[in-house]
Amino acid sequence: MKHARVLFTGAGPLNGQELDVTVEDSFATTGQLKSKTDGQLINESDVKWLSPIKEPGTIFALGLNYADHARELAFEPPKEPLVFLKGANTLTGHKQNAYRPDNIKFQHYECELVAVIGKEGKNISREDAMDYIAGYTVCNDFAIRDYLENYYRPNLRVKSRDSLLPVGPWIIDKDDVGDISSLKVTTHVNGELTQDGTTADIIFDVPFLVEYLSKIMTLKPGDMIATGTPEGLKDMQPGDKVVCEIEKIGALETYIVSEQEFYGDKY
Amino acid sequence: MTNNPIVKGKLVCVALNDASQFEAMQAEFNEAPYKSAPTQPVLYFKPHNTWSTEGATVEWAVSEGQAADSMVVGASLAVVFGKECCRVSQEEALSYVGGYSLVHDFSLPELTYYRPDIKGKCLDGSAPTGSVVVPACDVADPQALTVVTQVNGETVSEMPVSNMVRSVAELISTISYIMTLQPGDVIAVGFPGQRAPIKQGDKVSSAIAGVIELNNVAGRA
Repeated sequence: MKHARVLFTGAGPLNGQELDVTVEDSFATTGQLKSKTDGQLINESDVKWLSPIKEPGTIFALGLNYADHARELAFEPPKEPLVFLKGANTLTGHKQNAYRPDNIKFQHYECELVAVIGKEGKNISREDAMDYIAGYTVCNDFAIRDYLENYYRPNLRVKSRDSLLPVGPWIIDKDDVGDISSLKVTTHVNGELTQDGTTADIIFDVPFLVEYLSKIMTLKPGDMIATGTPEGLKDMQPGDKVVCEIEKIGALETYIVSEQEFYGDKY
Repeated sequence: MTNNPIVKGKLVCVALNDASQFEAMQAEFNEAPYKSAPTQPVLYFKPHNTWSTEGATVEWAVSEGQAADSMVVGASLAVVFGKECCRVSQEEALSYVGGYSLVHDFSLPELTYYRPDIKGKCLDGSAPTGSVVVPACDVADPQALTVVTQVNGETVSEMPVSNMVRSVAELISTISYIMTLQPGDVIAVGFPGQRAPIKQGDKVSSAIAGVIELNNVAGRA
């Protein structure tokens, strides 16, 4: 099953409410979502998609975790995972805006498979790791390369900015996906294929990461592990539409806007 | 693990903000892997599994079934946001502060600042905060505060906030242009550059005289 969260923006009593919905197979043809509360069908045109994780916990992300991407950035593949954390301020949903900061030269998307933790655990073995995964989603872990400095790299200024982690459209149950070791990972910018990889190139896989992280710290439901991105970097400009897609999981669409448009009155 | 009464959203910590440490490291900053001194505040998160409380015993780090050889602790003034804070100037920054508290950062020794230190900084319960938030209106000037830390009753550090590379107001402004801060988000504005080494069972107490104190114990593996 696919689980999503939306803000109802249409007319009527639901206006302004956040709803938990399921996305049925019929969605592709009807554009209707189903409320988990009462089964009511809701038109996609009446909602704003939210990040599908209701109470986000720790957001882990992986750097240089695809063999091809590490080569692209002229790095030796790491011997140990390069893990960094992101703030919940970065989260946004499907079909939402993400901004390009003013006066920068290079901002790129990163299409990533996200494993969502469903059960609390510490010192979880690789063999048991999948028992702790609730499901999967897709994220776009944007980076602004101009802001990289060699301190806690990739630093928060690069990786923890408002709106620069779109997630979604939904969480799909683990068992509906099955094997994740060879899924296509693609990004289209304005319809053009710019990133074309496969999770088969992942260096440290989900079971490894669950074991590795849970040796350090307790993992909890709502924690997310974004597993890194394959090669295929491209600069983004306001007006661009970027779609990050992972086979069997979903296609996440994001619109790039200027800093001024994003922040409006607060700019 | 205990529920923290103060931190609701993000706990952002500032590293390398002790001016004496920053000066002493200038030569090192110019070498690999850093190659040049940081131009921006050096930030890290303490995630939600680390949040803990006054009086808590902090788990001793264990790696591969072995107790860690050494741990260190630092204390910082904790700035607790009272309202949403997005893209604010230094001049208006302090008006977004709901109050102040203390935070202890228990960790493995800070051997390098090159990569995010998940292994060192994300240990369960390693970020206790004070039991209360002292209302901002009761603190005339956060720059005038000094954080004193004792281990087993012996003073190991005295850190005047005025000795930091960047002031509280400057940090709030800079960070608010990176990430919108929400009520209950916390910034730990700076720790002594020399983190205090601790042993299993040590009592760690920090205080801002007349304002707040924070008492913890290093656990046993």
